[in-house]
Amino acid sequence: MEIIKTQSLIKDYLLGKVKVRALDGIDLIIETGEFVAIMGPSGSGKSTLMHIIGCLDSPTGGEYYLDGDLVSNLPKRALAGIRNRKIGFVFQSFNLLPHFNILKNVELPLMYGGMSFSKRKRRAEEVLESVGLSDRLKHRPNELSGGQRQRVAIARAIVNKPSILLADEPTGNLDSQAGGDILEIFSDLHAAGNTVIMVTHDPNVAARADRIIQIRDGLIYHGDLSA
Amino acid sequence: MAISVLESLRVGLADIAMRKVRSIVTILGIVLGVMCIMVVLAILAGMNKSTMSWMEERGGLSKVEIGFNWQYDFKKGGEAKLNLAELRTIKSLIPEARAFNPNISSWDARLRYRDKEYSAQCFGVYPDMQIVDNWFPDKGRFISDIDLRESSNVIVLGSSVAKEIFGNQNPLGKKVFLKNQVMEVIGVLSEKYWEQHGGGGMWGRNALEYMNQRSFIPLSTMMTKISPGSKVDQLEILAYSPEEALALQKKLRPIMLHIKDGKEVFRVSSAQEDMLEMQKNAQIFSAIFIMIAAISLLVGGIVIMNIMLASIKERTREIGVRLAIGARRWDIFMQFMVQTVLITSLGGVFGLVFGYLILDMVGKYLQMPMTANNNMIFSALGVSVGIGLIFGIAPAARAGNLDPVVALREE
Repeated sequence: MEIIKTQSLIKDYLLGKVKVRALDGIDLIIETGEFVAIMGPSGSGKSTLMHIIGCLDSPTGGEYYLDGDLVSNLPKRALAGIRNRKIGFVFQSFNLLPHFNILKNVELPLMYGGMSFSKRKRRAEEVLESVGLSDRLKHRPNELSGGQRQRVAIARAIVNKPSILLADEPTGNLDSQAGGDILEIFSDLHAAGNTVIMVTHDPNVAARADRIIQIRDGLIYHGDLSA
Repeated sequence: MAISVLESLRVGLADIAMRKVRSIVTILGIVLGVMCIMVVLAILAGMNKSTMSWMEERGGLSKVEIGFNWQYDFKKGGEAKLNLAELRTIKSLIPEARAFNPNISSWDARLRYRDKEYSAQCFGVYPDMQIVDNWFPDKGRFISDIDLRESSNVIVLGSSVAKEIFGNQNPLGKKVFLKNQVMEVIGVLSEKYWEQHGGGGMWGRNALEYMNQRSFIPLSTMMTKISPGSKVDQLEILAYSPEEALALQKKLRPIMLHIKDGKEVFRVSSAQEDMLEMQKNAQIFSAIFIMIAAISLLVGGIVIMNIMLASIKERTREIGVRLAIGARRWDIFMQFMVQTVLITSLGGVFGLVFGYLILDMVGKYLQMPMTANNNMIFSALGVSVGIGLIFGIAPAARAGNLDPVVALREE
């Protein structure tokens, strides 16, 4: 089943008075349960594509179907609910809230989803245990190592069982040991049936994926990668 | 569905607890404003209460007084005195008055009883004095109409006079000398008492002690026997209500002018008019202070708005993260709105607490009961919440309108 389908997706930015085309007609299909890596040099439009896939942004033109629903023409306020229910984000710089302990951090999406206080605490503890952090619930992010922080971020991303897991350079700020651990978790999540989309420029990281999508100048590149 | 206000409260409280120093600085303006309003209102209420009870004790608000006009230039002629014919004219012109008491005071009235002497201010009065001054005998009786008609040699003593001359003896029926006349004591008036605030006055704690040191005889006795040829220099008239007193005062002014050939030798005043004048002054006074408080609150509100705007700028990335994981614009708006209102309400609460402490201190110093009523508490809290709502909108709206992509890019 297609979880993501885009048709001639276009995104223009206004840079001052100049219109810049970031995406120039992307046709993309990702199946449920796939592990896909999106690669491309900086400025290629891969981040823009991820923002649109993650419903943080709307395309200027074209269509985007998420889970069978057309979301590209939804108003911005409707996107928040979709982000909350269907998408889990993992960022390169973790983006945890520094003043909350990790349990509170993981609870946040559940809070915005409207889950009751006691229920979400239980659910967050459960997910943190699955990433091996059940002994650190009351710690703040700055008391943890980079690898541990990224595991908290993954826990936060998966806590409301999203349809897709979006990771933007998840190993970019980690040493190879911690990065390897994190990739292991993504592989496990994929193996458990989750759809994983990972933006990266590291071929070794991309090699973990079922499929690699190359972006060049706002278009999917089908040429020879080794060229 | 948006997150509940309760969740916003929880988030807001956590934010405030996290940034304690900033929160304290933020609320200072509100604390001062609320404190100022509360203290001023309480002091005014206390003053009003105090003034009212003083007026009550002095005969109430229905009294009209006619007496010497200090502002009149007596070189232009005229005399601030009334003879019996003039009194009769006045009385006949104001049948609506409840009581009518002309009096003559004599300062050199020495009372003698056996070997004791007492220098008491002595007044020649009408029986109506009891009603006008709301002052009745404790023992015996007051001067009657018959006493007045027959110029009897009777005297009524103030409580201090009686105590001074007779000690524990019963003064009723005793004969005392006043000048060359033998007077029979027929009554002793009840003690006038009004506790003085703000330290001892001329007569110690009792501000009305001077009244207890007076003695009273029939007006006719005064005019014929004690100081022959004297005329009435003061006239007290009681109306049935403070409003009627004002009307009476208005009516009496031209009457007095006419009687004295257009010379303004008498001043016609009423307790009600004095009271209204005082209240007007108090209102101006309180309006000024309320304005100062309002400015302080306004400045406090602007400070809060700016600090919140700065705080939101600083927390842009956090807002981006919240948006990315599913917060709606409304959630973000509410988070900052609730936080601002929480901060200002906290300011209100601290303002009330400090206000109470100050009132307590001021009250002790002035020996005046400072009353802070529930109204004040509710309005102080209402005002601080209102300020949070007004000055919280702009920052909260800015936070809620952040673009998630832009916010996430912020360092």
